[in-house]
Amino acid sequence: MSTELPAKEQHKMNYVPGTASLIDDIDKKHLVLLRDGRTLIGYLRSIDQFANLVFHQTVERIHVGKKFGDIPRGIFIVRGENVVLLGEIDVDKPCDTVLQQVSIEEILEEQRLQQQAKQETEKVKMQVLKDRGLSVPKADNLDEY
Amino acid sequence: MFRFQSLDEDCTLEEEEEGLIEEEEEIDQFNDDTFGAGAIDDDWQEEHKRLAELDKRDGLGAEGGGGMGRDLDFGGAEESSSTLLTPSTGRPPLPSSLPSLNFAPSSRLPPLDSEDRGGGGDLVESLARFILDADPAIAGVGTTERPVPSLSSSGSSISSLQGLEPSRVLSRHSSMPQPTHLQHPPRPSQHQLPPGPSSSGLSSAAASPSMLSYQQQQHMLHRGSVPISQMNSHNIWDNSMGFGPVSMSPGLATHMEDSPLMSIIKEVGLPKLPPHGRNDEERDLSERVPPPRSSSPVIGSPPVRAVPIGTPPKQPISHSLNHQSHHPTAVHVRAPLQHRYPPPFPERLSPNTLLNIANSPLGRSPFPPGVGPVLSQIKRAQLLNSQVAGFPRGGPAPPMLPGGGGFRPFFGGPPPPHGHRMGPMPPHGPPNHTPPIRHNTTHLHPQHRRMLTQRMQSRGGDRGRTGGDRRSRDPYSNLMTQKEKEWVTKIQMMQLQSTDPYLDDYYYQNYYEKMEKRQEKERDSSSRKEHTTKLITPQVAKVEHTYRPVQFAGSLGKLTVSSVNNPRKMIDAVVTTRSDDEEKREKQVWNKRRQILYTVEKMYSLLLEVQDFEKRFVQTPEEDREALLEQHKQNTEQLCNSMREKEWEDRVSDEQCVMIMSVRKGKRLVARLLPLLPSAQAAAIVMAIARNLPALTKKDKQDQVLCWLVEPVSAVIQSLSSSALTDLLQELQGSEGQLATVLQNKFGVTLLYLILSEGEKMQSSDPNCQLMDDNRWTELVFSVTRELLSVSSSSLSAPLFTPANLLSLFSRYVDRQRLELLQNKLQITALSR
Repeated sequence: MSTELPAKEQHKMNYVPGTASLIDDIDKKHLVLLRDGRTLIGYLRSIDQFANLVFHQTVERIHVGKKFGDIPRGIFIVRGENVVLLGEIDVDKPCDTVLQQVSIEEILEEQRLQQQAKQETEKVKMQVLKDRGLSVPKADNLDEY
Repeated sequence: MFRFQSLDEDCTLEEEEEGLIEEEEEIDQFNDDTFGAGAIDDDWQEEHKRLAELDKRDGLGAEGGGGMGRDLDFGGAEESSSTLLTPSTGRPPLPSSLPSLNFAPSSRLPPLDSEDRGGGGDLVESLARFILDADPAIAGVGTTERPVPSLSSSGSSISSLQGLEPSRVLSRHSSMPQPTHLQHPPRPSQHQLPPGPSSSGLSSAAASPSMLSYQQQQHMLHRGSVPISQMNSHNIWDNSMGFGPVSMSPGLATHMEDSPLMSIIKEVGLPKLPPHGRNDEERDLSERVPPPRSSSPVIGSPPVRAVPIGTPPKQPISHSLNHQSHHPTAVHVRAPLQHRYPPPFPERLSPNTLLNIANSPLGRSPFPPGVGPVLSQIKRAQLLNSQVAGFPRGGPAPPMLPGGGGFRPFFGGPPPPHGHRMGPMPPHGPPNHTPPIRHNTTHLHPQHRRMLTQRMQSRGGDRGRTGGDRRSRDPYSNLMTQKEKEWVTKIQMMQLQSTDPYLDDYYYQNYYEKMEKRQEKERDSSSRKEHTTKLITPQVAKVEHTYRPVQFAGSLGKLTVSSVNNPRKMIDAVVTTRSDDEEKREKQVWNKRRQILYTVEKMYSLLLEVQDFEKRFVQTPEEDREALLEQHKQNTEQLCNSMREKEWEDRVSDEQCVMIMSVRKGKRLVARLLPLLPSAQAAAIVMAIARNLPALTKKDKQDQVLCWLVEPVSAVIQSLSSSALTDLLQELQGSEGQLATVLQNKFGVTLLYLILSEGEKMQSSDPNCQLMDDNRWTELVFSVTRELLSVSSSSLSAPLFTPANLLSLFSRYVDRQRLELLQNKLQITALSR
């Protein structure tokens, strides 16, 4: 059996091989997706047993269509239960994406427009359903994004 | 001494009656002193008398017992002092007002100081009083016969206060009321005072009045001075030690000599005032620990920890020794664990010192090892980073001290960094990621460990270098200390504890076993030694679950405590059978099915135990092995018996077999069971299967689980004798049309082929085999071939596999033409599987 794993995985089994641990992710740049739909990018500084995360030099990245905008946020402490997924960002890897970075104002504006459009379609849909005597309960309590 | 006492006694006699009267009127329902703890001790009576006495005497409103909470209020002090000034004559000023100055937090001291220097007779007076009161002995002494503090004296006292010898100050004040008497006792005592508290001025005087005071007081007492007790003092110590002018009870008399309380105070000291002067950042977090929890009476519940497990490790502090004193030793009932977690508090060597030692060849750190610990997180991180950047990157990181400082269960190598000091952490290659920390990985599979070390060594250099470079430029890295990382990992490891690793962590264990086996095949024998090391996961001894409720002697009944480990039974469910006829019949059907299921379950658990026996056998210690073996035998017997008929112990019960096989789980059970049974019984079961195949196939239409039986059945068949084989074939064709049904079923066809193939094997291998002795075999084969040919191709189901030698078999018995037909039909080729 080959003992050679790809380089990236090798340094992961630092403390407790065979388990998943965030210890090896410390001080690295990460991207985290939260349950409320936000995307944060920052340096992971500290963790605890609940996977509460401390992010440093955090930036909230908003994506609308092909554009995105970064809002600097400083230090974030994320409660572990609100994390959907977390992944390391390889700073060395060349970044060739089709996404286009825009200013904060622009992206916020875009987001607002997107939300507006969404709401309008939702409204129309509800109206149509209502006309037919059907109703879809509003999923207020669900995590949606 | 006696002089004062007599004085007091006189007063007592006068006032006692009034005091008593007051007592009765003042029965307070909610007051501890009436009914609670205070009522039990004798002291409260004296205390009350004293209180009453002093109240009466002062003529001012008694301020109750709340002296402690009072802040030193200059206005108030001034007022009180001014009020005190007014009553003249030898009446001692109201000690109850004194508490306003009493034990003021040291935060008050600086203003006191400044104020004092500013002068002002009243302030000085209040200051003086404060000092006096802070020292109950002196206060008591002072108040017994203190004349109205004169302004003149206060004027002179300013300079003296500035003079700063606390003992001098104290003696000064004590000298005020009793110039002759007390001046001498304090003086010699002052030499005996510890140098520390008497260092600097007023602030220290007030800051450590307690220390001073009790020592002073002791001397006082020995001299027989009679300080007035602190009436409203927060300290019961004070009261018991102070001698009220009220009483000279025999209880108090003992206080004159070496009282036990005194000795206690000597040992324990007073409750400390919050030392505001000292650095706050060094405050021991464990001071904030909640009071020790009483232990849960349930055996096996998690131990009560001084600091809960979830508490992150403390930052290093200077007075680490204090930790020990702050740990309440939680008493808990607990089954002995095989693994004990060392307390999260200091180890003997700090990792910083260790690293210093280890890395000294690399270069001298700019800080001496004795550097104080008061570095903040960021500073420390920065320090680390600067060190990282500074040192050359050469080769693999320096070796860590092997096993230095003692092993923790999971983390060997350098003990977890609980720093006594926060000296610089010299780098060892990259700060975080591939340090050559040799953890105690004995609990891991040796394979794991090997991979780990290999990787560390090979990759530690180059990978770390690139990553480390980047990280070294990051001034905020290493905010999370090594200790904290290990703490988190420790918690994760704790979650891996188990009493039965094969139960809890089945896949991990089995995976590594398989890997090991594979490795063994590949590697040569030279490295075989490595493989023999056993896999150890943190195992906790199985805890007893019996809980007997706590019972107090003389109480009625038992204390029922319901906890997570010992849930209380809430409902007593009783089974009642209904005797309704209709329902009975329906129920019977259900019951039968349930019975079958129940039987299957029971057999399964037995089976699992039998199958796991080997693994457990290896793991149990020597003493228990006998018992385990015994149990194993019993289990196997039980299993065998379960398939047997009730009346005849020998024969396998058809009915039972069929019943069990009617359930999907039962079929799987039989499949797993067959290899374990003795051959005779296994053969019998296979016979039973063959006999009842139509019924079974009918029931299996939905599940199609019968095919699971192929493997074990084929194993059995191969072990059959020729006569048995013949019998089996006969069984298969037993009743009319059975064969046809058999052929329609995949399993049936496969079974048939197996039998035939086995027969052929027997014939071809051993020409003298008994198969041909009687004609049965031949006849049976003939009938089979007939059936095969007659049955339509569509109804013939494809077998799981076709044995290769069928062709040769058929060639013996049928002519060429038929052979060809058969061949086509069954698609048997010479090369078929």
